[in-house]
This record gives sequence, structure tokens and C-alpha cells, in this order.
Amino acid sequence: MNMHDITVKHGQELRMTRPDDGIRRGDPLLVVDNISLSFGGVKAITDISFDILKGEIRAIIGPNGAGKTSMLNVINGFYHPQEGTITFRGEKRSKMRTHEAANQGIARTFQNIALFKGMSVLDNIMTGRITLMNRNMAWQALWRGPAEREEIEHRQAVEHIIDFLEIEHIRKTPVGRLPYGLQKRVELGRALAAEPALLLLDEPMAGMNLEEKEDMSRYILDVNQQFGTTIALIEHDMGVVMDLSDRVVVLDYGRKIGDGTPDEVRGNQDVIDAYLGVSHDD
Amino acid sequence: MLYREAGDFKTTYRSDQQTFPIKSERWLFWAFIAFAFLVVPFFINDYWNKAVFMPLLIYCMAALGLNILVGYAGQVSLGTGGFMAVGAFACYKLMTAFPWMDMFTVTVLSGVVTAGVGILFGLPSLRIKGFYLAVATLAAQFFLVWMFNKFPWFYNYSASGQITAPERTIFGVAVTGANTTPWATYVFGLVLVFVFAWVARNLTRGRIGRSWMAIRDMDIAAEIIGVSPLQAKLSAFAVSSFYIGMAGSMLFANYLGAAEVTEAFGIDKSFLVLFMVIIGGLGSILGSFLGAAFLVLLPVLLKNIMVDQFGWATDLAAHVQIMLIGGLIIFFLIAEPHGLAQLWRLTKEKLRLWPFPY
Repeated sequence: MNMHDITVKHGQELRMTRPDDGIRRGDPLLVVDNISLSFGGVKAITDISFDILKGEIRAIIGPNGAGKTSMLNVINGFYHPQEGTITFRGEKRSKMRTHEAANQGIARTFQNIALFKGMSVLDNIMTGRITLMNRNMAWQALWRGPAEREEIEHRQAVEHIIDFLEIEHIRKTPVGRLPYGLQKRVELGRALAAEPALLLLDEPMAGMNLEEKEDMSRYILDVNQQFGTTIALIEHDMGVVMDLSDRVVVLDYGRKIGDGTPDEVRGNQDVIDAYLGVSHDD
Repeated sequence: MLYREAGDFKTTYRSDQQTFPIKSERWLFWAFIAFAFLVVPFFINDYWNKAVFMPLLIYCMAALGLNILVGYAGQVSLGTGGFMAVGAFACYKLMTAFPWMDMFTVTVLSGVVTAGVGILFGLPSLRIKGFYLAVATLAAQFFLVWMFNKFPWFYNYSASGQITAPERTIFGVAVTGANTTPWATYVFGLVLVFVFAWVARNLTRGRIGRSWMAIRDMDIAAEIIGVSPLQAKLSAFAVSSFYIGMAGSMLFANYLGAAEVTEAFGIDKSFLVLFMVIIGGLGSILGSFLGAAFLVLLPVLLKNIMVDQFGWATDLAAHVQIMLIGGLIIFFLIAEPHGLAQLWRLTKEKLRLWPFPY
């Protein structure tokens, strides 16, 4: 690898394939408007509105069962809210299937790792690029020619991600054999491989030790700054949340109780009450 | 010595992702292929062709197909016998309707017809999985066999209900019917298996193969990163049935010559091919070959040893053989649940360091 490759490997090369949506940094990328979601009689989310601006790191926090993961599932089309609208990249979204959200540029990681256990690290991350690959079955069967060229092109992009996440040594290892922290990193890699416009991270640091948390925080900041990826993350570690995020939205019992910069949220009495468990009738 | 990767540097992604990354392995493979193509045809006789090579090639093809569905895409199927019947009857109808058509075209088109039927019976997989899907495909097995018995159009209203393969040629050489020579059917089968094993390898290593494996390993995550379950599952059913249909067509036209559907394509075929795939190794092309070889060659070997060497009675030998093979299957599944392919993989790991393991 020559010097040129090294200088461009973080960033520029990764941001070509998705068409530009014309949204400038700082304009709303995703607007959630009066969303309500219930399962039978259980109300998971009640009347929540917020927005995610392009280029920011937006944290969603709240006590257990507050509806954070449900919110992410609504955003990437896995749950369909009964009321409210979601506008992504300026387009109001109708009822869609989950893989269509991926096609629009939303990628995510999961609370409990959802890697493909039987596949190698490389194959897992390559699978992340599935929405960007389009050679049909006939070319694939032939392999030589277009299919192979496409494969190598995407392999190059994937190798940049592997480089970025510092997992070169395990690229051919089946993910089932890796320790937890590395699996989390591979999962981030798989989500990054899709070159998402919006990256959803569901508790990226759950169950990690301090060192692993610091590593992961660094990767999240780097992804945000070098690739310019907009990130929405759920996290329980308040120190991490307050340090990483530009703005925070706080949920409790499916309602929004706070929204603003980390400092604003920290001073919000409702938020303090929700976290400390103050009784509401005094 | 035998198996060394030291000094075998990969400087391009292309050479890094080739099928046989290690030089000695590549040599072994091509030597084997050269032997199969250039040596065997000159020494093959009727016994070897009928007892060993044709069944081996046919079941390799069927196991390849089923491995794509069960091993790569994770969709359990017990309908293999039924799909082989579709291939056989499609072959028969094509041979009789278009007598001028050469046998390669007929076999591939039989596969295409079976792929269509496979997609149809794959539709339930969009809603159900696991054991429930196995039961749904079992229904396909019984339905298809019933259908080919019920409607005389499929067997051209023949009195016996059998289908009989007329003589068809490739480049003037008969590969079906009474006038075939052992080497002709062997080479015909070998070319088909070689070409389509290569195709299977190509399909499984690229985008489509990864979408199958993603659906197998975690379907919800696969969908969230952009795999369409509809496309992935139905394409797996289509490709798998394509292979199984060709295997059925070869079994009928090139091997049996005449077939009766209940007898030739019963549920036992479904199980036999499924066992091959499980013993050989799920999700491995090599595994399909090893599994087919295990279950085709071992009975022949055992029979030869017991009847010809020990002079046992044929019926006794047949029973002992069933018991031995059953026992061996259980032994292998306990010793190595991931199949013969995994055993080979472990051997290679050991060989890399041999004879100095530290």
C-alpha cells in the first residue's frame, strides 16, 4: 500500500456510492413527528417528536423500558407506529418493509449482537454492502468479469473499514469465535459498510470494560467526524453519553421528558426525577 | 511439505479470494480433475459406471442442490425426491415432445422447470421456518408423487405408468437409451457436475451466497441490513431445485433408463440426500461431494468385502450393511457434527504445522 492510499483511507473513499441528498450539515436529516406505538394495550411510545440533524451525534437515553429500542425499531421500519409521521431525507415515509429502510441509508447495530455466526468477519462486513451490490444471478454464476470486479471493488471498501476498526488480524476468523468486544466492533463495521446516511447504535458499549468503552467511543467520534455520518445512539453510561453527544433526547415511560444539549438535559428537573425515581405526588 | 502456505504471498484481493488459496491444494484439485476427465473414461466398464460413477455423479448433483437450500440458506427441505421426480418427468416430456433436442439442453431445461416448481413450494418459507417448513416440503414430496401418478399426461398415457427414456445423443454419441457406452454417460454426467459445481461455488461466494447465509444465521438482522427475505429464500429454493431437477433428470434418463415415480422418487430419496448433506457438511460445496461419496461408495465397498471376500449370503450382507452404515452415520455425527468437510478442514489445519506442531 503506498502513501496515497494511507492518506485517503480514512473517509473520502467511503463516501461515494450513495447519491447526495442535498441536505446540508445542520439541517434536519430525520424528523419524528408525534409518533405513537402500542402493542395491544401496552403503549410503548406516546406522542414523541424530535429531530436528528445531519452530522450530529444524537443520544436517546432513559431508564429501562422507556421505549428507546422501540424508537430505533420505528426509525428503521421494523415497527410501524399507529400514529405520527417520520420524514427521512425530506421524504415522508409511508409504511415500508425493513430492508427498504436499509436501502434508503439507515444502518444499525443491536443491543445483543446480531452478527452472522457462521460467517467470517470479512463476509459479515461484506454483507453490510449488500444494498450497494447489484450484479444479477447470471453474472454471479459466471463470476469472471463483472461479478468479480464488483466483489473486488467492494472488498477494497471493506478493507478500509477493517483498517479503520483495527481488526485486520481477524478478518478471516468466524465471528462466533471472537470475544464480545471484538464482536461489537465487527458489528459496527458491518453497519458502516453500508455507508449509511444515518447510523443507529443500540447500546454500543453495553457489557464492555473501561478500555473497550474508550475504544468504542473513539470509533464513534471518528466515524462522525471523518465520514460525516449522522449517528443516533442509545446508551446507559451517562458519562459516555454526555461526552459524545451533541444533543440528547430523554424518554421515560414512552414519553419525551427532555431534549437538548447534554448540559441542558443534566439540569432538567424531570430528567433528574426520572433517573432518581422521585415519587410524583409530593 | 504437502500443504504449505509459507512463501505463498497474496498481493491482490483476487488471489486472496480464490477457491484454493494454497498452491499444493490447487495442484491436487487439478490433478484430480485431470484424472477424472482423461484417465477414467478410458478404463471405465459397465459395472463401475452403473455401480459407482453414475450414482456418485447424480447424488453429487442432488446433494449440491440440497446443500444450497439447507446448508447455505438454512431452509430445511424434505421434498428432494419430489423435485427429482419433477426433473425426471420434465426431462421425459421434453425428450418426447422435442426429439431433436440434445441432452445437455434437455437436462438444463428440466432443471429450469424444477426451479419454477421449487419457487412455488418455497413460498411457505416466507411465513414458516424450521420443523414447520420441513412438514410443508414433505407435503410437496407426497403431492408431486401423487400428481405424476394421477395424471397420465405426464407419462404419455403409457399402459405401465412408467416413463422410458428414448435414445438421445450429443455430438452423435448416445447418452440415453439402450445403445449407450459407459464412458459416454460418465463424461456427460461429469461435465454437468463439474460445470455446475463451479457455478454453485460462484453463487455461494458472492452477494447472493452471503444473502443466503445471512438469512440462515439471523434472519431479522439480515433484513435490517438490507437483505430481502423474499428474494433470498425464493432464489435459494429456485437454485436448489434447479440442481435437484437436473439430478432427477440424469437419474431417470442416463442411469435408470425407465422409471416409475413411486418407486424411484419416494420419500427415501429425500432422506438419503438430506443425510448426504448433513454427513458431508452443511454449507460446504466439498461437503456435498464427500457426503454423496460416503453414502454411495460405502455400500458398494461393504457389499464387495462381505459377499466377494467373506463369501457371505447376499441377504445377510445387505442387512449387515444397513446396520453398519447406520452405525457409522451416528458415529460420524457424534465425532464431528459439522460433517466430513469440517474433518477435512481440521486435517488441513494440522497439516499446515505437520510435522512440527509447535
